[in-house]
Amino acid sequence: MAESATNPAGVLTASGGGFAQASPRKRRTAKASVVLFDTALKWVCRGAACTILIMLALPLIVLIRQAWPAIQAYGAGFLVTSTWRANELEQPARDAAGKIIIEGGETVMTVLPAQFGALPVLYGTAVSSAIALLVAVPFGLAAALFIVRIAPKLKIAGPLSFLIEFLAAIPSLAYGIWGLFVLAPLLSTTIGPAMAKVLGNVPGFDWMFYQTIIIGGTATRRPISFTGRDMLCGGLVLGIMILPIITAVSRDVLKNVPRAQIEGSVALGATWWQSSIEMLRFGRAGLFGAVMLGLARAAGETMAITMVIGNNNQIVPSPFAPAQTMASLLANEFAEATTGMHSAALLYVALILLVMSLLFNIVARYFVVGKAVK
Amino acid sequence: MPARRENKLARITSSVMYIGCTAASIVILLLLIWITGYLVSIGTASLNLDFFTQVATGDPEAPGGMKHAIRGTIILLAMASMVGVPLGLLTGIYLSEYAADAGLLNTIVRFTADVLTGLPSIIVGIVGYELIVVPMGGYSGYAGAAALAFIMIPIVARTSEEMLRLVPQSYREGSLGLGATKAQTIFRVVLPAAAGSVVTGIMLAFARVAGETAPLLFTALGSRLLSTDPAKPFPSLTLQIYSYATGPYVKERQMAWAGMLVLIAMLFLLNMLIRYVAHRSVRKFQVS
Repeated sequence: MAESATNPAGVLTASGGGFAQASPRKRRTAKASVVLFDTALKWVCRGAACTILIMLALPLIVLIRQAWPAIQAYGAGFLVTSTWRANELEQPARDAAGKIIIEGGETVMTVLPAQFGALPVLYGTAVSSAIALLVAVPFGLAAALFIVRIAPKLKIAGPLSFLIEFLAAIPSLAYGIWGLFVLAPLLSTTIGPAMAKVLGNVPGFDWMFYQTIIIGGTATRRPISFTGRDMLCGGLVLGIMILPIITAVSRDVLKNVPRAQIEGSVALGATWWQSSIEMLRFGRAGLFGAVMLGLARAAGETMAITMVIGNNNQIVPSPFAPAQTMASLLANEFAEATTGMHSAALLYVALILLVMSLLFNIVARYFVVGKAVK
Repeated sequence: MPARRENKLARITSSVMYIGCTAASIVILLLLIWITGYLVSIGTASLNLDFFTQVATGDPEAPGGMKHAIRGTIILLAMASMVGVPLGLLTGIYLSEYAADAGLLNTIVRFTADVLTGLPSIIVGIVGYELIVVPMGGYSGYAGAAALAFIMIPIVARTSEEMLRLVPQSYREGSLGLGATKAQTIFRVVLPAAAGSVVTGIMLAFARVAGETAPLLFTALGSRLLSTDPAKPFPSLTLQIYSYATGPYVKERQMAWAGMLVLIAMLFLLNMLIRYVAHRSVRKFQVS
C-alpha cells in the first residue's frame, strides 16, 4: 500500500501527455485511440472489480427474497424450533396453504410454523464442526510447528509443504468416499462396540450409547446401534479435511514470526518448547484466523458430510447417532422441494449458513491478513 | 534448588512436546498416506480402458464407462473459464495496477474476494438454481458453468493480483517514462512479465473447481448421456462419482473409485505443474 501511495505513475503519465503535445499532428490522432483504450481499460477493470461486490450481494439478496415466506412465518423462532416435518408439507393441501401465505393470509401462517425449525441442523453443524476442530487444531498446530522449526533441519520442509498443499486440493468427494467405505465400517464394527464395552457400564457415559425415543406417549430408552454413519464419523472426516488448510495457514503465520523473537528467547535460555510457546503467542491473532478459516470450511462443507453423517434431523447427544448439518440438509432435500414453504424454509437455512460462513470468513480474514503479516 | 528442578521440568516438557509435534506430524502423514493409498489402490483395481471409451449404460451390472462424464467436466470447465478467467484477471489487474485510484474501493474489493473464496459451494449451487435454472425452466450445463465461474472469479482475481505485484515497480516506471499509457504498460510490460505466474493462478482456480460437486447438484444436475448441448442437464465427472459411490451397486461403485483416481491423478499433475511454474516465475524476479 505504501508503495502504491508513493508510486510516481500519475506524474509520469502527465509528463507523457506533455510529450505527446509536442509531437506532430499525425501522431496525435493515433494517440487518441490509445488514450481511449487506456480509459476504456480502466473502466472495464473497475467494472470487473465491482462485479466482485455484486457477487457478494447477489446471494444475500436472492436468498432473502426466496426465503421471505419462511422468514415471515417463523422469524427468529426458526433458530430454536426443533421440529422439521417436510413430508406433510408435500401434500397438495399444504402446498395450496403455502401459496396463500405469499398473498398475506394470516390464519394459515399460524398453523404451519411448527413444521420447520433449524435447531437440529444448527446443532448438527455446531457439534460436527466442534469435533472437527478438536481433531484438526492440535494436530494442525503441531504439524505447523514441525514444518517451521524441525523439518528445515531434516531438509524435508519443501516436500512436506507440497504434500499439505496437494492435500488441501483433493476434492471433498474423495474424503467422503474414504469416510464412507473405510472409516464408517471401522466405527460401526470395531471402534463403536469397543467403546461400548469399555465405557458402557461406567456411570456418566451412558448418554453415549443410549437414546430416548418417545413411542405412543411413553419414553423408551434404547441402545444406539452403531451404523458408522453418524455424528462422530462426520466430525472426524471434517477434521481430516480441514487439517491441511489449518496446517498451511498456521505454517505461514509462524513463518512470519520475526527470527529475533525466537533467537532472543533461546539466547535467554528458553527450551525448545518455551520458545515455541513464544512463537505461538506472537502469532496468536493469525493462528486464530487459521482456526476460523478451518471452522468456516467445516461448517460449509457439503459432499463429504452428506455421505457420512447419516442424514437424520434429530438432536441426540450421542456421537454415535446419525445427525444432519445445514449443508447436508440442503444437499438432501433441496432438489425435492421446489415449491412451497419447504423450499422457503430450506432457503432460510441456506441464508443462515451463508451469513454464518460470511461472519467466520470476515473474522478469519481480518485476523490472518490484518494482524499476522506484520 | 527449586529453580533447578523447574529447569529440569521445563527441559522434560520441551522434549516431550518436541517428540509430540514430530509424532503428530507422522500420524498426519500416515493418515494421509492411508487415505490416498486406499483411494489409489481401489481406483487402480477398478480402472480399465472402457472407463475412458464407453458411455454409461444404466445397467448396474455393466455400467459401461465415464466418457460422457469426463467430456462433460472438460466442457463445463472450459465454459466456466471463458467467463471466470477474463473477469477474474481484469479484477486482478484493477487490484494490482489501479490501486492508487481509489484506496477504499480497492480494499473492499480485495476483502470481498477473499471472503468469497470461503463461500460454501452448496450456496453457490442454490443461488445458481434460483437465478438461472428457475428462469430458464430447467437444469442446464450453462447453469453449472456459471456456478463454477462464480467460484473461479475471486480465486483468479486474488492470485493474479499477487502475481502482478511481483513484477518490479521499475518495469512500470520504465514503460511509463518512455511515454506509454497505463494500458500499454499493462498489456506490453506487466502482463508478459508475469505471464507464467498468472497462468499458475488460473490453474489453481481450475484445480479447485475441477473437484467441485456441490455447486453442480442443483445446476448441471448430471446426465448419463453423451450430451454436448449445454441447454440440457449436463454430465460431470464429480456428479457421476457421487451418484455411483452413494448408490447400492458394486460395479457402479467401482466405476466411482476409478473416476476418483482419475480426478486425483489429474489434480496431482496440475499441482506439480503449478509448483514448477510458480517457482520459476518467482525466482525470475528475485534474481534480477
